[in-house]
Amino acid sequence: MFAHIFVNRLKCLLRDRETIFWTMMFPLLLAVFFNLALSNLNNGEIFKAIDIAVVDDNNYQYDQYFKVALDEASKGDDRLFNLTVTSKDNAEKLLNENKIAGYIVVEEPIKLVVNKSGMNQAIIKSFIDNYMQTVSSINSILLKNPAAQQELISSLSERQQYVKEVSGTNAEPNNILNYFYSLIAMACIYGCFFGMREVTDIQADISPLAARVNISPVHKLKAFIYSICASLVIHLFEIFILLMFLRFVLYVDFGPKTGYVLLTAFLGSVMGISFGAFVSAIVKKSENIKIAVLIGVSMTGSFLAGMMYQNMKYTIAQNAPVLSYLNPVNLLTDAFYSLYYYDTFSRYALNMGFLCIFIVIFSLGTYLIIRRRKYASL
Amino acid sequence: MIIKVKNLVKRYGDLIALDHLSLSVNEGEVFGLLGPNGSGKTTAINCILSLLSYDKGEIEIFGQPMTPDAYNIKRDIGIVMQNVAVYNELTVYENIDYFCGLYVQDKKLRKKLVDEAIDFVGLGDFIKFYPKKLSGGLLRRLNIACGIAHKPKLIILDEPTVAVDPQSRNKILEGILELNRQGATVIYTSHYMEEIEQICSRIMIIDKGKAIATGTKDELKAMISMGEKITVETYSLSEEQLSRLRKLPNIASAVYKNQTLEIKSNKGQNNLETILDFIKREGIQFGKIYSEMPTLNDVFLEITGKELRD
Ligand SMILES: Nc1ncnc2c1ncn2[C@@H]1O[C@H](COP(=O)(O)OP(=O)(O)OP(=O)(O)O)[C@@H](O)[C@H]1O
Ligand SMILES: [Mg+2]
Repeated sequence: MFAHIFVNRLKCLLRDRETIFWTMMFPLLLAVFFNLALSNLNNGEIFKAIDIAVVDDNNYQYDQYFKVALDEASKGDDRLFNLTVTSKDNAEKLLNENKIAGYIVVEEPIKLVVNKSGMNQAIIKSFIDNYMQTVSSINSILLKNPAAQQELISSLSERQQYVKEVSGTNAEPNNILNYFYSLIAMACIYGCFFGMREVTDIQADISPLAARVNISPVHKLKAFIYSICASLVIHLFEIFILLMFLRFVLYVDFGPKTGYVLLTAFLGSVMGISFGAFVSAIVKKSENIKIAVLIGVSMTGSFLAGMMYQNMKYTIAQNAPVLSYLNPVNLLTDAFYSLYYYDTFSRYALNMGFLCIFIVIFSLGTYLIIRRRKYASL
Repeated sequence: MIIKVKNLVKRYGDLIALDHLSLSVNEGEVFGLLGPNGSGKTTAINCILSLLSYDKGEIEIFGQPMTPDAYNIKRDIGIVMQNVAVYNELTVYENIDYFCGLYVQDKKLRKKLVDEAIDFVGLGDFIKFYPKKLSGGLLRRLNIACGIAHKPKLIILDEPTVAVDPQSRNKILEGILELNRQGATVIYTSHYMEEIEQICSRIMIIDKGKAIATGTKDELKAMISMGEKITVETYSLSEEQLSRLRKLPNIASAVYKNQTLEIKSNKGQNNLETILDFIKREGIQFGKIYSEMPTLNDVFLEITGKELRD
């Protein structure tokens, strides 16, 4: 009986073009669209050390503090600048040839010469501003308390670190990942369309088709479970295709924990399907209203998880942290995010825990409604 | 006894859809459930099938109490619901095979049954069609095939001919009689009295959830006082003649309108003869004369005071 129901169900679902479109093609199209829209952002934001020059004159050579600060920022793998120390003429020439984003002339106050404004120029500027601000506070403090010098110097280098982090983090290419992660989460919750259909086709008070299955000599819950297995297989396959597409066509990075990424996708799919089943069972209204509820919840969830506007996620996390745990799309997004960013599993586990609670609630609710086999009204 | 229903009561909120309905269906019958729209036919069927919960009553099928998990009972029932219930994504063949497969596991046997069902409803040319591509009548036939392919002992059809053209309708009715000849007991609901009269060996008339009469069609017609209805086309009939006519024995009513004289007689012998005599005696010129036996509509009308069909 399992094979009979399962195979026929696969046929039915695979031939249901509309559902296949929304659950598979739509996320793929969105992924392509995101990729197009974000690739510019990506180029702009991948942090590459900025080419700059500093005019090598006496002022520069004598300004020890600035020299140290600049050298410090131009060292190491994660340096802020590729620094060229050169003559003023040469610096001017490099700038005109667009070899550098700008050059610095050490005078009072320190001057930045650029020929256009942009992200890189802004970063150099903020570096200089920061330095000068620090210097002025150092000076004022030193006037009062010369002994604090050593401490201040170390705080100065911390300051540089800060400058770098601010610009550096904003420029992380990985920020874009959140868009794709929330897209996967959306694709997972779109499994709700499968869940809805499963309940529609087993609840005789929703469809005459279900009435026909209900009067056949097959246990209702068994028929439901066999059938929903087909939905799960198809949806998992769709999510898998999406993951493959993201990973190997769009080169979206999921970090090294592949097994956990797949586990997350699996639970996401289960959550989506059980969510749809639950809504379909509990909302005693027309199919259109159910679809409206499903799309409404999915889209709001995706929006709050940062799918359309990434900072949304952080705004929620800061101002209404409860909301981020009540939003299954966010839980999934954040789970992928934690897998990528963190070496530890605590945040991931928290997300998964909440997700499982959702799955249990949805499944249990669905079960309690559909286990009844006599209806008060058809 | 195939089905036995005792004192079935079903309420939808304040509305009493079935009011102490009792019925029994014997093996080999074509049992008709006749009633106007909203009289409770579908509700009764769904209660019998344990799809609907009911407030009171007992239901037995094949001598056992019917419950949602009485699978051995369900295995021998075939249902054709009022609403077409097929998968739009499965072809004609696949649909029949799917539903048949819920009853019959053996693949070889199932193939034979499905092929027979397709022959039976005459969908041989359409097995690869999807339901959306079928006309209304063909779709109804598919709906029937899905319900009966597994050769059940008891077949329940709930208005299977709604919105079907006369040709398809006749095919369906003949098919039902054929299934009955092959040994199936049939329950057939309809609000078309002609269909019910045509195929049912026993009929229950229901109205507002109550059984108002049960019997063969002749028994039902015998229940009412009305005999035959005699219609005479005539151009000349005076008021006096009409009132003399009304005084004849066994005449229930006589109305003259639009050059047509309509006489309803009470039950009795030789009613037609008496009237023919009268016409001859009075020298009334006439065109056609014809006599009709009472219909189920007349039965319904006499018992409930309203027409079966609006
Ligand atoms: N789900 C429901 N909720 C409330 N009332 C209902 C429901 N289903 C049917 N009814 C009412 O119960 C009564 C019987 O309805 P039912 O469908 O059994 O009639 P029917 O004889 O099958 O009519 P039809 O010939 O139109 O199919 C009607 O008055 C109908 O309005
Ligand atoms: Mg009905």
